[in-house]
Amino acid sequence: MLASAAALPVLLGTASCRSEELFTGPDPLAGPPRPAPGVITLQAVIAAEQDMIQLYRSAIGGGLAAARAPGLEALLAEHQQHLARLRARLIVPPGASVSPAAQASSPSQAPPAQGSPSLSPGASGASGAGGAGGPARGRVTIARLRAAERASAAGLVQRLGPVEPALAQLFASIAASDATHVTALGG
Amino acid sequence: MATVTAAGAVSALQAALAAEDAAIFGYGVAGAHLSGTIQAVAEQDWTRHNEARDTLTAMISGLGAAPVAALAFYRLPFAVHDAASAAELAAYLEDGVTRAYLGLVAVSDRRLRAFGALAMQVCAQRAAFWRGSTQAFPGLDPESSRTPAN
Repeated sequence: MLASAAALPVLLGTASCRSEELFTGPDPLAGPPRPAPGVITLQAVIAAEQDMIQLYRSAIGGGLAAARAPGLEALLAEHQQHLARLRARLIVPPGASVSPAAQASSPSQAPPAQGSPSLSPGASGASGAGGAGGPARGRVTIARLRAAERASAAGLVQRLGPVEPALAQLFASIAASDATHVTALGG
Repeated sequence: MATVTAAGAVSALQAALAAEDAAIFGYGVAGAHLSGTIQAVAEQDWTRHNEARDTLTAMISGLGAAPVAALAFYRLPFAVHDAASAAELAAYLEDGVTRAYLGLVAVSDRRLRAFGALAMQVCAQRAAFWRGSTQAFPGLDPESSRTPAN
């Protein structure tokens, strides 16, 4: 046994066989390949849309004047349509991992909105945490919604470059919708 | 490949220019049925479309192509006879220009994509004003904007 073990390198050397030539191809221990850049971008956009939906839910359920609620519901419904359409673009092969944000359970779908009437500008209600988008913390004001919509529209335009044309068009259309929401919210 | 890319960009720019020319014509018709503040808004939008037309003309010329000429007359989708139908026409025109800029978003040049997307936002905002409501997917064909069955 010892003799044969000692002889192995000699035998390998004799056969002109180097260890790095014994196996070629991807390293089976390295794990699954990283998703393509376009997939990562789409996952990020889905997560951002989910944050937007949560922001609207917080605004609607968090004490804004009841008169604003119907208009906000219609804008929320459009964001839910955005999310559904974005998710439909994400193809996940069986067994592949998906980012937790993109995988979150779908919010209940409102009927397709016929359009949201413009909200009249006015008092934005009690001031809450500032900033655009992100998980809703504190009271969500109209001003915060407006800022979030503005940031979303700008962010989507920045993401257009490296994605495939059809996805770029979807991003641009959603960005245009977000821009109209800014106006509807009094911006 | 560069020639194909440039040809695609020119084609998309020409389509946007044609839409702008149609909007300029249509706003002239709509404005005649409006008055007061709302007419001033239509006038402003007409001016913005003229500026956009000039920008697109310069971009197309810069790419070595001849900008498509505006038509003398454009067939309107419906008769305009009062303020309500004038507003409806304005929304229709803005939807058309939004769709045209969506075509620009599909080209490979990143700056043109951004240009088209930003133009879409402006047009969609004007369309929402004239329509009195927003849309989930401005510029996208209603058929393609429906959620596909999984």
